[in-house]
Amino acid sequence: MPAVDEQSRVEKAAREAAPSANPLARLLDSAPARNLGLVAVLVLLGIVGVSTADTFLTRSNLLTILTSASVIGVITVGVTMVIIGGGIDLSVGKVMALASVWSTTVATQSYGPVVMVFCALAVGAGCGLVNGLLIAYGRVVPFIVTLAMLISAQGLAEQISGRRSQIVTDPTIAAIANTRLLGIPLLVYIFAAVVAVGWVVLNRTTFGRRTFAIGGNPEAARLAGLDVRRHTVALYVVSGLCGGIAAIMISSLTTTGSSTHGTLYELDAIAAVIIGGTLLTGGRGTLIGSILGVLVFTTITNLFVLNNLATEVQNIAKGAIIVAAVLIQSRARRSWFSTG
Amino acid sequence: MSSSPLPDLGRRSVLLGALGLGAGAALSACTSNTPAAPAGSVAAPTAGANTASGPAVTIGFSAPAADHGWIAAIANNAKAQAAQYSDVTFEAVNPTNDITQQIAAVETLINKKVNALVLLPNDGSQLTSTGRKAMAAGIPVINLDRIFDTPLAYRTWIGGDNYGMGVSAGTYVAEQLKAKGVANPIIGEIAGIDSLPLTQARSKGFADALASYGFSVGPRQAADFTAQGGQRVAANLLQAAPKLDALWNHDDDQGIGVLAAINQAGRNEFFMVGGAGSANAMRDIKADNTVLKATVTYSPTMASSAIALARLVAQDKGMSDLVEKEVPTSITLNSATITKENVDTYLPLGFES
Amino acid sequence: MSPLLTMRGIVKQFPGVRALDGVDLDVEAGEVHCLLGQNGAGKSTLIKVLAGAHRPDAGEITFDGQPVAFASPQAADQAGIATIYQELDLVPGLSVAENVVLGHEPARLGFTRPRDAEERARELLRRLGHPEIPPRRELGRLSAAGQQVVSMARALARDARLIVMDEPSAVLDPEEVQNLFRVIRELTADGVAIVYISHRLEEIRQIGDRVTVLKDGRTVARNLPGRDTPTAEVIRLMTGRSIEYVFPARAAEPRPDVVLEVDGLTRPGEFADVSFTVRSGEVVGLAGLVGSGRSEILETVYGARRATAGSVRVHGRALRPGSVPSAVRARMGLCPEERKSQGLLLAEPVSRNVSLPALRRFARAGFLGRDAELSAVGTVTAQLDVRPADPTRPVRTLSGGNQQKVVLARWLLQGCDVLLLDEPTRGVDVGARTEIYALIRRLADSGVAVVMVSSEVPEVLGLSDRVLVVREGRVVRTAPSADLDESRVLDLVMEGTAHG
Repeated sequence: MPAVDEQSRVEKAAREAAPSANPLARLLDSAPARNLGLVAVLVLLGIVGVSTADTFLTRSNLLTILTSASVIGVITVGVTMVIIGGGIDLSVGKVMALASVWSTTVATQSYGPVVMVFCALAVGAGCGLVNGLLIAYGRVVPFIVTLAMLISAQGLAEQISGRRSQIVTDPTIAAIANTRLLGIPLLVYIFAAVVAVGWVVLNRTTFGRRTFAIGGNPEAARLAGLDVRRHTVALYVVSGLCGGIAAIMISSLTTTGSSTHGTLYELDAIAAVIIGGTLLTGGRGTLIGSILGVLVFTTITNLFVLNNLATEVQNIAKGAIIVAAVLIQSRARRSWFSTG
Repeated sequence: MSSSPLPDLGRRSVLLGALGLGAGAALSACTSNTPAAPAGSVAAPTAGANTASGPAVTIGFSAPAADHGWIAAIANNAKAQAAQYSDVTFEAVNPTNDITQQIAAVETLINKKVNALVLLPNDGSQLTSTGRKAMAAGIPVINLDRIFDTPLAYRTWIGGDNYGMGVSAGTYVAEQLKAKGVANPIIGEIAGIDSLPLTQARSKGFADALASYGFSVGPRQAADFTAQGGQRVAANLLQAAPKLDALWNHDDDQGIGVLAAINQAGRNEFFMVGGAGSANAMRDIKADNTVLKATVTYSPTMASSAIALARLVAQDKGMSDLVEKEVPTSITLNSATITKENVDTYLPLGFES
Repeated sequence: MSPLLTMRGIVKQFPGVRALDGVDLDVEAGEVHCLLGQNGAGKSTLIKVLAGAHRPDAGEITFDGQPVAFASPQAADQAGIATIYQELDLVPGLSVAENVVLGHEPARLGFTRPRDAEERARELLRRLGHPEIPPRRELGRLSAAGQQVVSMARALARDARLIVMDEPSAVLDPEEVQNLFRVIRELTADGVAIVYISHRLEEIRQIGDRVTVLKDGRTVARNLPGRDTPTAEVIRLMTGRSIEYVFPARAAEPRPDVVLEVDGLTRPGEFADVSFTVRSGEVVGLAGLVGSGRSEILETVYGARRATAGSVRVHGRALRPGSVPSAVRARMGLCPEERKSQGLLLAEPVSRNVSLPALRRFARAGFLGRDAELSAVGTVTAQLDVRPADPTRPVRTLSGGNQQKVVLARWLLQGCDVLLLDEPTRGVDVGARTEIYALIRRLADSGVAVVMVSSEVPEVLGLSDRVLVVREGRVVRTAPSADLDESRVLDLVMEGTAHG
C-alpha cells in the first residue's frame, strides 16, 4: 500500500515540523537550524580560511573578526528589530556618524566621558525619535523618512565637524577599544551584551511579541488594541539608540569622531538582516540570523586581507554570498519544512 | 494599574518631555568645536615687487566638496591666501562632488568674467572642456592638482607628485631598514582607494623605490581614505602579518584609524610612514611615542600657491625669483619626507585632518 | 453527449494533509455545476488543480475529450478554463481595461493598443450589465462588487469554455447576485459551462443545474439535481447533520443595565447621527447591505475610525475618539470583517493570535511567562473547540471557521463587556456556524453586550434581541427581532423609507 506509506511519512514529517513535538524538532527549529544556509557558509569560509592562511584560526585573528563585527553588529540589532516590526531604517550609519561627531567635539570632550556617552546615546535616540514620530504620526513612508534622516544627519555631522576627523582625546573613551577582559576585547562584550538584550527583548517580552505582531499584520495588531504608533516610535528609538552605542564604539576604535563613519552601513546591516532570514516585509525573522550574516561579511573581509587580495573582488564575493545564502536557506527550508 | 492609566501616562509624558528638553539643551552646547580649526596655511609673501598691490582682480575658485581633511584644507588655504591680498576679490562657488554641478558652477564664474580661475576638478578629464571654454573666453585657468587632458585647458598647472610621494616613502623605508641591517624585511602597505590613478601612481613609486634597494612590498590592502576604513583594514592586515618591519600608509586621515588598530593590537615591532602631511601626523612624529616615524607630503599648501599664481597671471606678472617674465605653465611640488628632525619646519603647514 | 470536463480519482497531497483523496467531477457544456462542501472539504484545492495552479498527485482530467495535465495556470487558460477566485486576483493599480486584458493585451509590434483594450472592456462590461463602470478607472477604486464584475469580464475576455467561480456572491448584494445569475444564464445559453461554489444553499437552488458534494477530500455525491434535491439532504451529505442553522434559545431577558451607549455618531460620507444603546446580555444586530455603512459604524464605535461627531460610552465613561487602546481598556473587543487581513497574524501560531490583547497579563516587568500564556490560551481554545487542538500550529493552516474561533477566543481570553462582531460567520461552514452562534449566545447570557453585523438576514434575526436596520448610513428602523421577519428586513434594507 504505497499510498498509506506516503501518508504516514508525510504525517511523520508534519509532526516533526511542528515545534515542541520532541527534542529533535526543537533543535531543528532553533535559530541556528533555521539559518543552516548561513552556518554552512560560515563553515565553508572557515575551511577556506584554515586552508589558505595559517593565521586564520589563531585566537587573535578570531578576536579581530569579532571586534570588526562589533560595531556593525550593534547597528544590525536595531535594524533587525525595526525590520521585524515592518519598517526599515536607512539612517543608522549616518546617525552613528552624527552621534560620533557630536560626542567628540572639543566642547563635549571637555565635559568628560560620561557626558560623551550620554551625548552619543541621546543623539542616536533623538534621531530615532524624529524618525519614529514622522513615520508613526506624520504617516510618511519609513523609506523616505529614514533616507531623509540619513542625508540630514550626514549634513549635520559635516557641519559640526567642519568635515574634519575629530580626534578622541578623552583617555577613558579612547581606552574602550584597547581594554580586554579575560583576554577578550571590551567591544566584543558590548556587542554580545547588545545582542543578548536584543534577543531577550524580541523573544521573551511583550515588546518583542508586539513587534512581531505589528510587523506581521499592523491592521490586525491595531484592531487587537495594540498602540501601533507608539510602538513604532519605540522601535525607531531603539534603532537610534543602537546607533548611539555604535558611535561610542567606532569613536574608540578609530580614535576619531567623523562624518565619514558608517558610510553604507545601512546596506551592510540590511544585507545581513536579509541573509539572516528576516522578511523585509516584517513579521518574521531572527536576530541570530542577522548576527550570523554580519559575521559572514566580516569573515569575508578578513579572509581577503589575510590572503592579500584586492578589495574589489571582496564586494563581488559579498554579492554572490548574499544570493547564495538566501538560495541555500530557502531551499533548505522548503525541503525540510515544506509547510514553512 | 488599570484604575487610572491616563494620569499615569500623563506623568510619564511630562517626565519624558522634560528629559528631552534637558537633553536638547545639553546637546546643543556640545556642538562647539572652536579651539580647533586654525586658519589655512598662507604662503609667506616674498619681499619682491610682487607683494605690492597691483590692479584689482577677481579670482574664481571651484573645488570638490570636502569629504576629507585634505580637500577641506585646500578650500581653507585658497581662501586664506586670497585674504592676504588687498587687490584680490575671492569668488568661490559652492563646493560639490557632482561633476555636472561643478561644470555649471564654473560656467557661472566664466559668465561673471572673473580675471582668473583656480580649478580643482572632481575629475580632470570631465572638466577639460570647461577649462578650454574658460581659456577661450580669455580667462586664465590655474589647474590645481587633478590635471586636465590637454594643456589647452589651462594656463598653469600646479599639483603634487603622487609617484614622487611613493618614491619618497619607499626611499625612507628602505634607508631605515638598510641602516638597521634588516635582511628580507616584511614591508606592508595600506593604500587609499585602489581604483584611483593617484593611488596607483603612489604604489608604483613606492614599489619602484623599494626595488632599487632590492626590497619588495609584502601585505598590501586598500582602505578608503577614512579613519574607519583605515582601522578595519589595518586590524585585519596585522593579523595577516604577525611580524612587520615597516608599513607605509598612503594617507594621514585614514592613518588615524590605522594607528588606532596598531595600538589595539599592541604592535610596535615596526615603524610606519604616513602620507599627505596632516598636522596630527606631524604632532605624533614630533612626540615620537607611536610607530609613526615619518610622513611624506602631498601638501594642500598648493592651493595657497595656486591663488598666488592666479593673481600673478591675472596681473601679467612673473615669478620674481625667476628670470622669466611670466609664470611657468607647470609646477610640480616636491614630496618632502618629514621626520622628527625636521618636523618643526613643516608643522605650521600641516593641515588638520 | 460526453461531458466537457471529467475529473477522475484526483489526489492532492500536502505535507500533513491529504487535501484531495479521490475526487470525481463531471461538468457538461452549458450547465451550472455547483460544488458544495464545508470549508476544508477540498473545493478550493480542486479548482486550483483544475486551473493548473496545483498539479495533482494522481488522477485523470479530460477536457473536451482530450486527456490533459495543465502544467501552469497559463496552460489551463489557453485550453479555455477561466477561474474567478475568492480572493480576487486583479491588479489594483491598473485600470479596469488593463485588468480585463491582462496577459492578453491587444498589441501590434509589441506596442499595446489601449483603445482596443478599452473598447473590449466596455463591451464586456455592458454585456455584464454594468455599463457604468469606466474602463479607465483604476481598479483599486472600485467597490468589491465592482471588482468582482471586472473579474467576470476578464474571464469572458478569454472566451473561456469553462468558468470556475469561487464564492462569487460573497461580496455581492442581493440585487447584484441576481445580475450575476442573469449573466450566468446568458453564458450557459451560449454553451459555456460554469462551476459554481457557494455557501448559500438558496443560491444553488436558484441557479444550479447539478450538484457535486465534497466531504473530507472525497466526492460523496455526484450530479444531484440542483433544484430538486432537498436542502436537508444536501446538508446531511455535507455534514452528516440535517438542519441548516440552529439558533440557540435565548436565556432570560437582557439585564436592565446599559453597557454601551452610542450617541449621534457621525462620519461624513459613511454614516450620520447613529445612536443606540446595548444592555448587558443583549445582542443587537445591524442589518444592511454591503456599503450601507454598517461595518464603518462598528469600527467607529471601536475607535478604529475616528468619529467627527458623537460619543461612545461604556458603563457611562466616554471613550477617547479614534483610540482602539482606549476601547480595549474599556473592555471592548472587535472581530473584524476581513478575518485574514484585519484579524489574524497568519504566520504566527494560534496561541500568539489569541493572547495578543491580553499579553500584559502574562508579563512581569515586560517579560513573558510563556507557560502561563500557553495554558491560558489552551483553556479558551479548548472551550471553543478550536481544531486542531494544538495551539502552536500556525493559524494560517486552520479552516475559516476555526480561524474565526481564534479571533473570538482572543476576546474570550481578554474578557469583554462589549463584543463587536462583523460578519462572524462569513466563509464559515455550516457546522462551525452553529458552534459560533451558540458561543455568541453564551457570551451574551453571561452578561456581555454584543453588537453584530451580518449580511445574512436569518442570522441577524435568529441571534439578535434587537435589530437596527441601516440604509445609506442611517439607522432607518430599530425593532425587537421578534417583530420582524426576513422579507420585512430585506424590504427595509433595500427600500427603507417606503415602510419607515
